[in-house]
Amino acid sequence: MRQAGAYSGLLCGGVSGRTGPHSLPLARIKKIMKNSGEDVKMISGEAPIIFSKACELFIEELTRRSWIMAIQGKRRTLHKEDLASAVIATDIFDFLITLVSSSESHAVGGATNVMEVETIDCS
Amino acid sequence: MDQDEQDRALPIANVSRIMKQILPPSAKISKEGKQVMQECVTEFISFVTGEASDKCHKENRKTVNGDDICWALSSLGFDNYAEAIGRYLHKYRQAEREKINHDKKYENPHINRAPPPPLLLSRVTRDKVENPPPSPPNQSG
Repeated sequence: MRQAGAYSGLLCGGVSGRTGPHSLPLARIKKIMKNSGEDVKMISGEAPIIFSKACELFIEELTRRSWIMAIQGKRRTLHKEDLASAVIATDIFDFLITLVSSSESHAVGGATNVMEVETIDCS
Repeated sequence: MDQDEQDRALPIANVSRIMKQILPPSAKISKEGKQVMQECVTEFISFVTGEASDKCHKENRKTVNGDDICWALSSLGFDNYAEAIGRYLHKYRQAEREKINHDKKYENPHINRAPPPPLLLSRVTRDKVENPPPSPPNQSG
């Protein structure tokens, strides 16, 4: 009878059959890594695995901060404007400002060019 | 986002599920909100990978590994992530080593098996004497 290792949860079972123990598909993460630049030659097997965890943390943090924006707007639905506000308010998300801004410009009916955002302390 | 772009992003269903897990049950997420998060996390992977790849290039290495990702996260201001990911990486490597040892053990069933006992061959005496004496044959002669 094979004995399960102390961290066997990392290696078998998990969230769903297709992604194993990880909540995000590793093959897709690897593909995105490859597409990030021509100088990305080889990727070790462990890199997409720990990236899946890092992405979870990222999604959780940005979602949490976005939700604070929605609540301040007295809403119960998270909108893209809330994500944009959270990105603008958080230093480590600066690399996303262009992305969320261009998303804004695609909105139907146009978007306000000037966005007023209160800086909030989420520490 | 067209199909080709979809294939170059993380699946929106997986992203949405993680978002819902962090929000209160009564919260809702608009479709556009999910799409923006999908784009953001895809950009996050590219951004961090670029930083990790630069480090590899400077050190004349070709393979981006887990340590490079941790370093890049810390370098880009995601210190909390780097700490959590560092612990996760440690556990992963431990689990991998245990798995390898476990497989080796069961792939070699003869390891630690005791050698079979030697066959005991009974001696056949050439002298056939009726009612042999009880003394051992060494003492005779």
